[in-house]
Amino acid sequence: MKGKFKSIMAAGLAVAMAMTAACGKDTAPPSQPEVSETVSEANAKTTNAEKTIVKEAKTDGDDANVEMTDVGTPRNETLIVDILNGNSPDPMQMNPYLPGCVALDSGLHQLVFVHLWEINSVKGAQEPALAADMPEDISGGKYTKFRFHIREGVKWSDGVDLTAEDVEFTADMIMNTPEFSYNAYFTSLVKSMKAVDKYTIEIELNNPETRLVDRLGAGYTSSFKVVPKHIWEKEDPKTFKNSDCIGAGPYVLTKRDEQQGNWYLFEKRDDWQNTDVGIKVGEPGPKYMLFKFFGTEEKRVMAAVNNEIDILQDISPESWEILRKKNENFKAWYDEFPYADMDDACARGISFNCEKEPYNNEDVRWALTLATDIKAVSMATFSGMLRVTPISAPPVSVVQDTYQKPMLSWLKEFELKDGYKPFDDTYASSMVEMLKQQGIEGLPSDEEEMVNTFGVGWWKYDVEEAGKLLTDNGFTQKDGKWYLPDGTLWTIVLNAPADFEIESMRLAFAVADSWKKFGIDVQVKQLDSATFWNAESTGDFEAGAYWPACGNTPDMVEGLAGWNQKYYKPTGEIAFNNAGGCRYKNEEISEILDSLESVPPSDPKVIEGATDVYKLLVQGRPFIPMFGTSKFVPVNTTYWQGFQSSTNYFEGPWWWWSQFKYYTPHFQPAE
Amino acid sequence: MKFLKFLGTRIITFVLVIMIGVTTIFFVPRFMPSDPVENMIGQMISKQSNMTPEAIQLYRESLSDTFGLEGSLGEQYVGFLKKVFVTGDFGPSLAAYPTPVMDMVRRAVPWTLGLMLTSTLISWLLGNFIGLLAGFRKNKWYAKILEGMAVFLYPIPYYVFALALIMIFCYVIPVFPLSMTLDNMAFDWSTISTILKNSILPALSLILVGLGWWVISTKALTTSVVEEDYVYYAKLKGLSQQRIMMRYITPNVALPQITTLALQIGGVFNGALITEILFGYPGLGKLIYTGIVQADYNLIMGTITISIVSITIATFVVDIIYPFLDPRIRNT
Repeated sequence: MKGKFKSIMAAGLAVAMAMTAACGKDTAPPSQPEVSETVSEANAKTTNAEKTIVKEAKTDGDDANVEMTDVGTPRNETLIVDILNGNSPDPMQMNPYLPGCVALDSGLHQLVFVHLWEINSVKGAQEPALAADMPEDISGGKYTKFRFHIREGVKWSDGVDLTAEDVEFTADMIMNTPEFSYNAYFTSLVKSMKAVDKYTIEIELNNPETRLVDRLGAGYTSSFKVVPKHIWEKEDPKTFKNSDCIGAGPYVLTKRDEQQGNWYLFEKRDDWQNTDVGIKVGEPGPKYMLFKFFGTEEKRVMAAVNNEIDILQDISPESWEILRKKNENFKAWYDEFPYADMDDACARGISFNCEKEPYNNEDVRWALTLATDIKAVSMATFSGMLRVTPISAPPVSVVQDTYQKPMLSWLKEFELKDGYKPFDDTYASSMVEMLKQQGIEGLPSDEEEMVNTFGVGWWKYDVEEAGKLLTDNGFTQKDGKWYLPDGTLWTIVLNAPADFEIESMRLAFAVADSWKKFGIDVQVKQLDSATFWNAESTGDFEAGAYWPACGNTPDMVEGLAGWNQKYYKPTGEIAFNNAGGCRYKNEEISEILDSLESVPPSDPKVIEGATDVYKLLVQGRPFIPMFGTSKFVPVNTTYWQGFQSSTNYFEGPWWWWSQFKYYTPHFQPAE
Repeated sequence: MKFLKFLGTRIITFVLVIMIGVTTIFFVPRFMPSDPVENMIGQMISKQSNMTPEAIQLYRESLSDTFGLEGSLGEQYVGFLKKVFVTGDFGPSLAAYPTPVMDMVRRAVPWTLGLMLTSTLISWLLGNFIGLLAGFRKNKWYAKILEGMAVFLYPIPYYVFALALIMIFCYVIPVFPLSMTLDNMAFDWSTISTILKNSILPALSLILVGLGWWVISTKALTTSVVEEDYVYYAKLKGLSQQRIMMRYITPNVALPQITTLALQIGGVFNGALITEILFGYPGLGKLIYTGIVQADYNLIMGTITISIVSITIATFVVDIIYPFLDPRIRNT
């Protein structure tokens, strides 16, 4: 028995070792020559290069040092982009008008789909994309009829000309298909869209519209995606999956992970000159673009350290710290603190349902503002790498120059009802001092630079004034705890995202910590995305770490529309938009917004009016704006160069936006 | 006659359990605080901030109609039962509309079965083997080492353990890929080897973590059986150690373990969510998760119904074969 047992153990051990040995051998991708593993000498200079497995392709007995990706493309010809939103339930569903479409930022709207106009986030304005020009009003100043042209020479990836007929067909298809999620919006806006000739479109609207390019152009993306008539006219658009994904972008989809949508491989079109990118900017650099989902943040960082990713999307500051130490070829937006780009288009903070007691009282909302230790919240959320905003506008550079900075004198003089001046313009300098004490290097030194980095200032952390505001409104404090006017313990349930939108998730806990120190019982309620958004939309919340203040252009009329009380919906009904989730009604704001609707975006009245709205929102406090969104979007310079940075930017590091297509000509192989 | 009566009772229980389970899974998602239509509207208006209330209402009606959510709850329930029991159709997934739920399930099932069945069986066999050794030959060094390893692995949280495996075998000694990359699904050696290579680590993590429980439970059972009179009697009769183990101890230890194994096999249709997420492995766990996170009623109902049916079938099969395995039950 003893002998037999030893034999079994020995055999088992041998099998295990054989398995391990077998597993160690890399296997060639199906379409590639046989490969074996060596350590890349070329990467030996990086900290982790020793771990990088490089495959040598063996072709007909000739060894050629060609490092391959695991989808069978040469690594030095492939730009690998991290997919932000994970994999897709059905990787074959690429009909952008149906709800189950593959996530657009899996490369689809960046490389394949085309839009009429695209935002330039640096200039803060829409620019022609597939359209050759901006729409011209042909209704004699009524803004109900426009004409524009599309670029000549653009072809679909199957070689067919893209003409005005495709645009007209797309519009008709949307209007005739109520099953499309976009149908309701589009039909409420557009009466007709007709091809006048091969490259000219005339569009008639149901109502006067001064912001047509904002309505039909792309911010993050555009819902109006022109589709090829010669393909779609043969299909039922309600069920058509568009799996071949014929588009007019500079790349074509050549392969994908059909099982779970973990990756999509795009190849540069031979006729890239026949795309809007080719015409407008030039030839895209990489021959291949691989959009790939790596999984959890830990795995994404490991892949980045191993040079398996070139563009990493949206990681935490802690992960960035690890990555920059482990792989020196990775670069962030700034070379030094704060590393992250702070120009993402939304301001994070705390929203209130202004119909629920005691949050229906603006003094209470102000008390909570003054009970927030914003510096501590910034440190706890993103280690201080955040730019504050005292108004309900994101602190995007172009917006900050238009609103926050010009409003500074008003903010300093702003008084609460009791005459208290709550604004603190020393936030930036005190953050610099605090971070210096922590040994952080590369901090801004002159005042303007400090403001550009950390923001114009925020509201004072003054628990005495906060307590006074509450006491004046009947609240009481016993044993360090705050009680509501009816004598019950005050408990705030604060909604927070559960493991998504990490900045807002952390912000919720940091704010809760501040308020707890002040003596309020706060419970952070983490919710999955469907429940989180549903709660805001239906008003089923008291307070939540939402972000209803978005926009990245000086024309903020559209971004502010949700505060117009004509769109008000009571709690229980679906709100107009994120701002509408606050259920805040203010006649003065509504009058200003109504009057701005018919004013063209370039009119100075737009900025004047929006400034007035921001002042009224400061007084009313339906939302406590805190920080802009900081994005850590590191790029890998091992294989590619030409990435944007704070010293070399032409758009913004928004790899998941549709405008990414215009960055592609800037990417060139690293020297 | 006795057996037929026994079988009849079991069949009635089987049908009842499935009916109750399917009814529950129809109603529970509808009482969740999220709603697929409102969820989609929320996402839409956050991007298209200028939709008028009228446009939102049109959109809501259109989505309800598209997703088959129109009509009263009762009408939806009757429609659902018809679909499930007559056509086996759970409708389109709302998260991957218009892809039918059953297409998605069909795509995921082979992966889940391949991984979960293999790892459950290997874990069961190894765990019982080590547990038997540890209980029967508890003073031997190899029994102590094997038991010690299993007991050491058992309390480690699965997430930490799996992540440690990834760090060791995908990063420090990169013999496995960080994420699963299937280039095509042709039935050839290249595809098979890619699948195997990508499955070894997730399977290993499930086997090693599952092993601990089997070792501990089998050892406890073995220790108890070893003390039984009939084992003493066998020893006194002078039977060999091997014969005592194989004929007297193993069958008595195996019986409850087979029941647990059957239930675990039924449960493989739940998938292994954390494994699938961490290793980028396709399977039912991720489908269930997608269904819940995106309030995809049809996907939740499709995947969970399959899980309910498989667990019920497993229990039913164990009930039926148990009398053949255990004479005590057969005789009562």
